[in-house]
Amino acid sequence: MLKDITFGQYYDSRSLLHRTDPRLKIFLLILLIVFIFIANNAFSLGFGTLSVISVMLVSKIPFKLYLKNMKAILPVLIFTGVINLFYGSGEELLSIWRLSITTGGVYRAVFMAVRITLLIFLSSALTYTTTPNDLTDAIESLLSPLKFIGLKSAVHTLAMMMTIALRFIPTLIEEAEKIMNAQKARGADLENGRLTERVKALIPILIPLLVSSVRRAYELAEAMECRCYNGGEGRTRMKQMRMAAGDYGVLAAALIICGGITALNILL
Amino acid sequence: MAVLEVKNLTHTYSGNTPFINDAVSRVSFSAEKGEIIGIIGHTGSGKSTLVQHLNGLLKPTEGEIFVDGANIWDNPKEIRKIRSKVGLVFQYPEYQLFEETVYADIAFGPKNMGLEGDELKKRVLETCELIGVKGEYLEKSPFDLSGGEKRRVAIAGVMAMRPEVIVFDEPTAGLDPGGRENVMKIIHDYRAATGATVIIISHSMEDMALLADRLLVMNKGRLEMFDTTENVFKNGGRLREIGLNVPIVTQVFYELKKSGVPVPDDVFTVSRAVEALKAIKAGEKYA
Repeated sequence: MLKDITFGQYYDSRSLLHRTDPRLKIFLLILLIVFIFIANNAFSLGFGTLSVISVMLVSKIPFKLYLKNMKAILPVLIFTGVINLFYGSGEELLSIWRLSITTGGVYRAVFMAVRITLLIFLSSALTYTTTPNDLTDAIESLLSPLKFIGLKSAVHTLAMMMTIALRFIPTLIEEAEKIMNAQKARGADLENGRLTERVKALIPILIPLLVSSVRRAYELAEAMECRCYNGGEGRTRMKQMRMAAGDYGVLAAALIICGGITALNILL
Repeated sequence: MAVLEVKNLTHTYSGNTPFINDAVSRVSFSAEKGEIIGIIGHTGSGKSTLVQHLNGLLKPTEGEIFVDGANIWDNPKEIRKIRSKVGLVFQYPEYQLFEETVYADIAFGPKNMGLEGDELKKRVLETCELIGVKGEYLEKSPFDLSGGEKRRVAIAGVMAMRPEVIVFDEPTAGLDPGGRENVMKIIHDYRAATGATVIIISHSMEDMALLADRLLVMNKGRLEMFDTTENVFKNGGRLREIGLNVPIVTQVFYELKKSGVPVPDDVFTVSRAVEALKAIKAGEKYA
């Protein structure tokens, strides 16, 4: 039922990437995406593709899961592909009305599609190998320089908000399920009827859910205050993030990929 | 004929856990018209899973449920009709309130059954009378009521459907003693007024001793005992083994008997205890 919806896609397969410092993973994700877009010929992009495939192999995540993420993005992929077909110069292959498909356009479309696919695969590799909590911790840590420009508490607050939101998703799903059952027991019909009736049928579920969310928020705030929570200042962590030997290995591998792409760009 | 009959009910939660565990395993029992059946069992013994089958919220993995002699899953499209025949009041039912007024919230159930106009109004007002909610309360927002009052209104929301069988999942959890007594009285009054069958899940052995005609004891998803309240509470040793107990007053009488006071061993309620003690006192006088 509702409980089966997974949020945050962490998949525990204990690979090298799972152990890598999440801050490094976020940084390298951005770096590699930039280089995939820098790759401007078939050889450098091909090298990028091979590199991404090896990242996927190293992650020990079933390939099926990567494809699952592609499904959601497929419409965007097709849309950009088709639009790109009509841009670009070169030999005309086909012309429909005032639009024409050229070799240059085909070239661009394929390039764009490959880049977007690689981008999705890489970001999936991040979310599959990193727990949501690690991700928010890493974001907090990476954004910490902002405190020098007067956004001291904002960084921590933002990260805490993300953590709380992620934490409460399963709780609220469970709550929604309970309320749905209670209203069904009172004869509510959630499955049948016209669209307007179905939307109306949501009211008896949404209102109690909203009320209990607000109640939970108050309770949580009180519980946090009881434990002397006063924002991020002076707060230490149970899990310290430190770069380890393996992390430098991952960093070196990523830099080699970047170097390879640049070299192939220049040489060919 | 039994109003409700459960035959060989088994329910397995299909989760992605490696443990294949039947939440409810081969449970059979039947309930007669107008009786009160108490369900007791330790946390996680399958009580809540069991009762969610009675009105078709859960579909049994195996086994059948008969209401008025008809298998409720014979026609899955008509399962909503079963829900007005077998009412289910969940734990903490006050969290299901959503309407603007108490009146509208109580009317939600009967409206779903297709009641309209004067009939609907009569039904709601009758139910309010039954649970002792007074006139001016009806136009209040349910969110402005106290915890105990909210609970009563939520229970009324199910009672207003006039189910032939009404099931309560821990109806007194989290209430103060006054509130508990009040809820027990409502349940008692509903049965007296409508002749409905009542099934109650509770952890309070005292409440069970006062209300229940028969007790159904669940242990690890299986039916451990199903007998009259007296016979079940006579099995105090076995109840303790599976994480339950007998009412406190019964424990007191058990200790009294052990230390040589000639008391009967079928004392489960305070009023019965008073009678027994009076009898002993009278006996001593004439001895």
